[in-house]
Formats: sequence, C-alpha cells, structure tokens
Amino acid sequence: MSMTDGPTPLRTAAAEQAAEEREASSKAAGKSDLGQRGRRKSGSFSDRWHALSRQQQWAFLVVVVILAYLLPLFNPPIITTEPGNNFALACFDMARFALIAVGLNVVVGYAGLLDLGYVAFFAVGSYCAAMLTSPDSPFLHIPYLWTIPIAMAVTMFFGVVLGVPTLRLRGDYLAIVTLGFGEIVRILATIIPAMKGQVGFQNVGHPPGTEAGGTPIFSNSNGVPWYWLTLTIIIIVTLLVGNLERSRVGRAWIAIREDEDAAEIMGVPTFKYKVWAFAIGAAIGGLSGALFAGQVGFVNNQKFDVTTSILFLAAVVLGGAGNKVGAILGGALVSYIPLRFTAIAEYKYLIFGIALVLIMIFRSQGLLPARQRLLAYGRTALNKITSRDAEPKDTGIPPAGPEGRVAGQRGAEA
Amino acid sequence: MTLLELKGVSVHYGRIQALRDISFTVDEGEVVALIGANGAGKTTTMRTISGLLNCSEGSITFGGQDITKMKAHIRVVHGISQAPEGRGIFPGMTVMENLDMGTFGRKDRTGVGRDLDRVFDLFPRLKEREKQYGGTMSGGEQQMLAIGRALMSNPKLLLLDEPSMGLAPQFIRQIFRIIKEINNQGTTVLVVEQNANQALAGAHRAFVLETGEITHSGTGKQLLEDPSIKEAYLGVG
Ligand SMILES: Nc1ncnc2c1ncn2[C@@H]1O[C@H](COP(=O)(O)OP(=O)(O)OP(=O)(O)O)[C@@H](O)[C@H]1O
Ligand SMILES: [Mg+2]
Repeated sequence: MSMTDGPTPLRTAAAEQAAEEREASSKAAGKSDLGQRGRRKSGSFSDRWHALSRQQQWAFLVVVVILAYLLPLFNPPIITTEPGNNFALACFDMARFALIAVGLNVVVGYAGLLDLGYVAFFAVGSYCAAMLTSPDSPFLHIPYLWTIPIAMAVTMFFGVVLGVPTLRLRGDYLAIVTLGFGEIVRILATIIPAMKGQVGFQNVGHPPGTEAGGTPIFSNSNGVPWYWLTLTIIIIVTLLVGNLERSRVGRAWIAIREDEDAAEIMGVPTFKYKVWAFAIGAAIGGLSGALFAGQVGFVNNQKFDVTTSILFLAAVVLGGAGNKVGAILGGALVSYIPLRFTAIAEYKYLIFGIALVLIMIFRSQGLLPARQRLLAYGRTALNKITSRDAEPKDTGIPPAGPEGRVAGQRGAEA
Repeated sequence: MTLLELKGVSVHYGRIQALRDISFTVDEGEVVALIGANGAGKTTTMRTISGLLNCSEGSITFGGQDITKMKAHIRVVHGISQAPEGRGIFPGMTVMENLDMGTFGRKDRTGVGRDLDRVFDLFPRLKEREKQYGGTMSGGEQQMLAIGRALMSNPKLLLLDEPSMGLAPQFIRQIFRIIKEINNQGTTVLVVEQNANQALAGAHRAFVLETGEITHSGTGKQLLEDPSIKEAYLGVG
C-alpha cells in the first residue's frame, strides 16, 4: 500500500482519466441540466489538476500545506477573524472542525450511513481526555498525550458497541437511532455523578513543554501550537483515510453506499464494513474531541448537543460527501464563517441552512464532488482487470491494449 | 447431479408468509425457469437462495453443502451469483467498476481476465460503454451489465430475476439467446420470468409459483402444453 496521496500514479494515466471524465460527463445523458453544469465546473478544475505532472501536483500540495502551517502567523488582513476572535484560536477551531468532518465523511460520505449523532463520539473523546487529566476527576491521571490514543480506542469501542445493534437498520431508521445516541451521551454526562454534569472538569491537561518564561507552550490562550498539532494530525489522518479509500475497503464502502443489497450479493460483507466505517469514523471523532478538551481546558455537558451534530453533518455535505478534501474545506468553512462574521454568528444555523438548501439545488454533490475519487478507483480497476495483458500471449494477436484485446482475440478465433 | 435443493422452505416478511413449504431442485447444467403471477413469491425465492432473505423453515443445500444459515456474501464465494430484479447495478460506478465489483468475492484472480472476455463477448455493448456510468445506461444495457456483473464472480449457479423486464421484444429474444449461451458455457441458470412463453421454451425444466406455493412442475415442453398454464400464463386458452 503506497502512502502517496493522489488520484493516479502516472501522468499518461492522469491525462487519460481527465479525458475519461470529460467523456463520461458528456455522455451523462439523463442528468438534469443543473447536474451537468455542476459536473462541468468541477471537470475544469480536475482537468487542470490532472494536466499537471506528478511532481507538479506534489509541489502544489507542499506549498498548500506550508501555507496552511503559516496561516496563523501571517494573520492575513481581510481573512483574519480579529478583532472579534483571536485568529490563531480560530485556526485551531477550523482545524478541529476539519478533522471532525474527515471522520464523519468516512461514515456518511464513503459508507453512506447517515449518522446524526456523531457528536456523541466527539463527546466521548473529550470526556476521555478530561477525566484522565483534570485534577477535578477522581480517576487516575496520565499525561495528556496518552489520552489521545486512549480516547481513540474508547470511542472506537463505543462505535462498535453502537454500530453492532444499529447498523442492521437502514436509511431513516439508522438516522433516527443515531440521533438518539447523540442525546444519550449528553444526558448520561448530566446524570452520572462521576461525569459532573454542568460543573464539568477544569484544567484539562495539555502536551508537555514550557516556554522560557515558564508558561506552557500548549496554553489555552495560544492557538498556534494547538493548530499545528491538529493540522499535522489532519494530514496523517487524511493520508491514512485516502489509502483506505483506494483499497478494497474503500470499494466495499462505495458499493454499500450505492446499493447495499447488490454489494452483499457481490460478496461484500456489508455489515462488517459498515461497522468498520462506524468505528473508524468514531475514532477520528474521539481524537478531535480529545484535542478540543485539551485546548479549551474545560469540559462539561453543554457542548455536545444535537445542533452541533447537525453542524458536523452540514460541514460534510457542504464540502462534498465522499471527498476528504471537500470535507476539510467544508469543516473549515463551517467553523470559519461565524468566527469571521461575528455580526451574523448568531444566525449561523439560519445561514448554514440556507447555504445547504442552495448547495442542494445548485450543486447537489457539494463544493468538491466525490466522483473524481471514484474515477481514480476506476482506473485501478481497469488496470487490475486487464493486468494479465502483461502475460505472454499467442502470436498473431495484435498488441494488447485494453482496446485491442478482445477484438484481437475474436479475430484470432475467427 | 443436484446442484441446488430447497426442502420445505418457508419465508416470512414479518407476519406475512410469502413462501409456503417450497421444495425443488436444480441440477447441474440445467436452465430452470420459475414463472408465476405478480406477487407469487418469485423474487422472494431468488433472494432466499442468494441469501438476502432468511428462511423461517426448511433448508437449502448447494453442491451437497447445507447453506441455510450461510450469509449472502459467502454464498457468492461458493458459486451462487444473482442479477437482482430491477437490475441493482451501482449507478455511480462506471461499467468497468461495476464489473470489477462482481469479482469482489473471488479468490482466483487469474480467471478474472478470462471472465471479462467472456462478458464482453456476450455483451459487446458493455465493451463499447466501459467508461459510462451505470446509472446513465439504458434499461436494456443495465440489464446486460447486471448479468455481466453476476458472471464476473464465475458462478456455478446464476440467478436471473426477470432479465427481460422492460425490454423491447428483439432485446428479449437476445437475452434468452444469451442465457442459452451462458448455459452452454457450463453455468447452471435459474431464471424468473413473466415472459412464460420464451422462458418455458428455453428452459429444461420449470416450476409455476402461485401465492407462495409450487403448483406445477415439469419440463419446459410439458408446461407449454398444459392447458391450465396456457390459460393462465401464456395468454392463449
Ligand atoms: N419487504 C416486504 N415486506 C412485506 N411483504 C413483502 C415484501 N417483499 C415482498 N412482499 C410480499 O411477498 C409476496 C411475494 O413477493 P415477491 O416480490 O416475491 O413477488 P414476485 O413473484 O417476485 O412478483 P413480481 O412478479 O411482481 O416481481 C408479495 O405478496 C409481496 O407483497
Ligand atoms: Mg419479482
């Protein structure tokens, strides 16, 4: 499994794929006019992207990543959220949302499981970090960084425990049950004494290290190190998720999303893969919860309501369900807009509601549609299926390309 | 040799009983047709054999092995492959991706290329359209894709649920010719059909299903000549 992240391994393949996409979109008869337009717009972007060589693509990505790291230091005018909100903290918040969206995208975007209670996993991750580090907690205390893998493991476990009974349900039923779970976690936090309800946990831990003056590097008021940490985690998680997406697992998820029964009779153990999607999504949610708890330093039952769940989902749908880059963009936007435009922050649900309606009407696939990824997989599918061309063949058959092969064989048989 | 055997199979949807005590066999190398009115339970039978539905009573054996409790995705590996009713292709995947999904469960990657050639030989149209999205293909093309995809797992038993549904008459004849060809290549076929005439003419044996029970059985020819069947299913009387 390669760790490289990119749609195609070869320049020629990339060009072919771009051509393929043009062709496919021109053939996409029966699509509505609007759909056509949406597809074409994204086509032009991906055309340009695929016209670049592999090196150019990487160079572009490296520049983007460097700029992303430098973002809170530049504090660029117009883009900045100040004076209303500290920009570095805003950057952290955007990164946190982006990470959540990447996780939820695995569940909603890849496997097509409508999870309306994703905040539950975020909450479990937050409580894990808080209860294992805060002096208010009666439990054993461990260094903060250890709580990150623990939070992931615990939420993953929760994901499986919630997934096994619920993932036999489909569509609307699953959505309603997950909605219920989102609430249950919050209510448990209220009624279980050890979880301290609204009082919550103060002074949640943070990664080690102090500045010259003795103040901790990862303080609540300094967003930059937290942002860098989260951004690094996003990059790692995105690479891992990208590899999953291009693997057998990713194909199974896409098949489940498209038609679950058909996937099952093609030999996809659908239940197992759905539980996996749920568990992986949960772990990423727990991870971002632990980061959030560390940065804010305070966890109580007030931050994990249903509307937050919906906001997470909005981020994924806005960015383009099924596309991890879209999810990052959607997550960052959903966090950024109310922080930047504080005057309208009060109306953020109204605004996102309208934005979602507009997106659904004019660009139902989200800002960055997922199809691009699927095509990348189509290329590997084709290569894999036709890979036996490399084997020696009888003489008299024309050179074996995917095109010439069948025709050639028929010619030979005749 | 018996490939598939259903013994006293009953299937319920909640409290509604869709199949009552169904028993029949399919021998290796046969084409067997299942005909019956709307709602008779044909699709239910197919989904029970492919494993998407559980029987509430009875047993299913395949190749001598009891598969009653076996999950659908394992049954594919054992050689049961279904082209579902209403086609059930993956609309957002291209033709090639759909065909590739058909190989998901198979262990022998070496035969994949051969089966792809076989599918493209049977359906040259799929070859022409290999990069088109499944969802944008015409109804008949989708039907070809569904059959082709089912063949990509190199099944011993191919289940076809109304392959002629919604097709033009010339397409229907073509589909039956293709079923024959698939059968000649060594695949056993169990086919559900509304087109009783064609199905009975093309099948070695056939069963008639009425409200969840098998009421007639025999060779295709026998049923074609049976007066009660003529009246009910063949539109002559
Ligand atoms: N999911 C379901 N829930 C409840 N009842 C169902 C369900 N699916 C099918 N049935 C019922 O079971 C009976 C058999 O249905 P089935 O789909 O097997 O019929 P069929 O013979 O395939 O009909 P057709 O020729 O119209 O496809 C019908 O009475 C139908 O209403
Ligand atoms: Mg039916």
